[in-house]
Amino acid sequence: MRVGRWFAKGDGLPSYFSQYITVALIGLAAIGMVGFMLGAGRIIRPSNPSADKSLTYECGVDPIDGNWAQTNIRYYLFALLFVVFDVEAVFVYPWATMMRSLGKSGLVEMIVFIGILAMALLYAWKKGILAWD
Amino acid sequence: MGTAVFDLHALAPELILTGVAILILVYDLFIGDERKWTLPIVAAGGILAAGIPLVTLGLSDTTRSLFGGAYVVDGFALVLKGIFLGASFVVLLMSAQYVEEGDYHRGEFYFLLLSAVLGMLVISSARDMISLFVAIELVSSPTYLLAGWRKRDLKSNEAALKYFLLGVVSIAISLYGMSILFGVTGGALKFTEIASWMSAVPSGSAMGVAAMSIVLILVGFAFKIAAVPFHLWAPDTYEGAPLPVTAFLSVASKTAGFVGLFTLVYLAFPAQSQVWRPVIFGLAIATMTVGNLIAIKQTNLVRMLAYSSIAQAGYVLVPFAATTREGSLTAETFASSVTYLLIYTVMNLGAFAVIIAVARRTRSVEITSWSGLSKYAPGLAVLMTFFLLSLAGIPPTAGMWAKIFVFRSVISAGGLANGALAAVMGINSVIAAFYYLAVVKKMFFDPAPEEDLEAIPVPASLAGAIGIMAGITFVLFVIPDVAVRLGYGASLV
Repeated sequence: MRVGRWFAKGDGLPSYFSQYITVALIGLAAIGMVGFMLGAGRIIRPSNPSADKSLTYECGVDPIDGNWAQTNIRYYLFALLFVVFDVEAVFVYPWATMMRSLGKSGLVEMIVFIGILAMALLYAWKKGILAWD
Repeated sequence: MGTAVFDLHALAPELILTGVAILILVYDLFIGDERKWTLPIVAAGGILAAGIPLVTLGLSDTTRSLFGGAYVVDGFALVLKGIFLGASFVVLLMSAQYVEEGDYHRGEFYFLLLSAVLGMLVISSARDMISLFVAIELVSSPTYLLAGWRKRDLKSNEAALKYFLLGVVSIAISLYGMSILFGVTGGALKFTEIASWMSAVPSGSAMGVAAMSIVLILVGFAFKIAAVPFHLWAPDTYEGAPLPVTAFLSVASKTAGFVGLFTLVYLAFPAQSQVWRPVIFGLAIATMTVGNLIAIKQTNLVRMLAYSSIAQAGYVLVPFAATTREGSLTAETFASSVTYLLIYTVMNLGAFAVIIAVARRTRSVEITSWSGLSKYAPGLAVLMTFFLLSLAGIPPTAGMWAKIFVFRSVISAGGLANGALAAVMGINSVIAAFYYLAVVKKMFFDPAPEEDLEAIPVPASLAGAIGIMAGITFVLFVIPDVAVRLGYGASLV
């Protein structure tokens, strides 16, 4: 950071000013970047609004009905349950490849981990989420 | 500990709490509605049981370092864990009746509450960036859900959503800062490693980048403690969340944010105090002033206390911002912050407990609905006055000592900037006294709205919570040494 160094060497400014220059520069860069991208887009792009363009899907089948589409809430619950097994796979896989070197403590830890996940399944089961009707 | 992988004694409070939290979740599945009343008793038992190893650890008086220094049980951790366990025990007392009267999921409430407490225990001991992050998420995630616990109430939904979105954004900003710091230090995660890197690298480009990461990390924690200008979620969340949860958020969750701030600035960034001190200086002044000024205008008691708790966070920040002549961090400033947090926790919980008791009758937390309270509930009115006086820092309450310690630590540090800080704090204490005393005036001198002067029945658990908090507030006024000694015992300096 050349500017920062110049300030730090220079006219006896407290050194934290030089450090804050980085903070300020990054802040300015962040604002400038967003401003530049939005601004440039506004200047460069042609503007021809038409009714077709504001449709949800510009090509393909014409949308019917409103935007209020309802799905059975059960799909959501199953998606949540999926996360339980997903997390399990993420952790069990690397553990399986390292099982020998991790030894007994690794095994105990995995049993605890699966036990906690099983609790989630037990919870879902007792709350009647697993039954479809 | 020889060959043992970890020190079970040091981890006992966390392990007990984990076990009880899981036990509650499973137990709740197998009991009928007629036995749900046992749930808070199990939860309270779990918290008390977790307190036992805390006492034995305190008596053994050795610093225990686990996982290569990433998890440390020292005086600071023990004192803060004690505050967290005590505060959550009182929150349990406050919520037992409240939870039973709402027809929502009870088992989950206690499970989530204990999970959040577990996160608070972990954050007190976290001494590296990863444990800190995991712990703060463990505190936050259950509290997002708790804030939206009254799911058929739109205000509660709003509370949860605002808290969730801003909480996630804030922690993302902190994570960004942590990742930059991780890169620029060449992979340092532990606070000790970061601290030695920072004292070794004097200036230059790396230090500039590190300065930015410090600022970003602090921003995330400023959200957690609801410091101005990162406070916007707090009033809406406090208003919409169930009242016991609001009490929990305003003390325990806020203290968890402060714990993160303590360990970060005193253990990880002490060498770079010239970077974070101006930030915290500005935050402290803005937080005190804005919080108090907006609190004056509030007509809703919970919103008023929300802004008051924002302002109180500002007072806790003041000792951080106090610059000593040598630029070093002193045990006195540290201890005064911890002491303030401890006393604030007690008096704020007390005030919320009284609000819960009165709201059972008035069904409203508008300040106008409190007028004439002293006519039909003289006991509650007197206790509320006591807690409000304490929040304002007026004797005979512990709140006075809290303010004095913070004042003294700033003034004894000397210098113009500290003098200005103390002056702002003094002015703010006066402003705060105005709106606290306005409520007192309403309770005692205004007529009751409908001349229905039936006494308010207070459930035993709630009465216990109010009594304990009032007792501690008074005892700490008579013997403040206890709080101060805890503050010094917690000092990381």
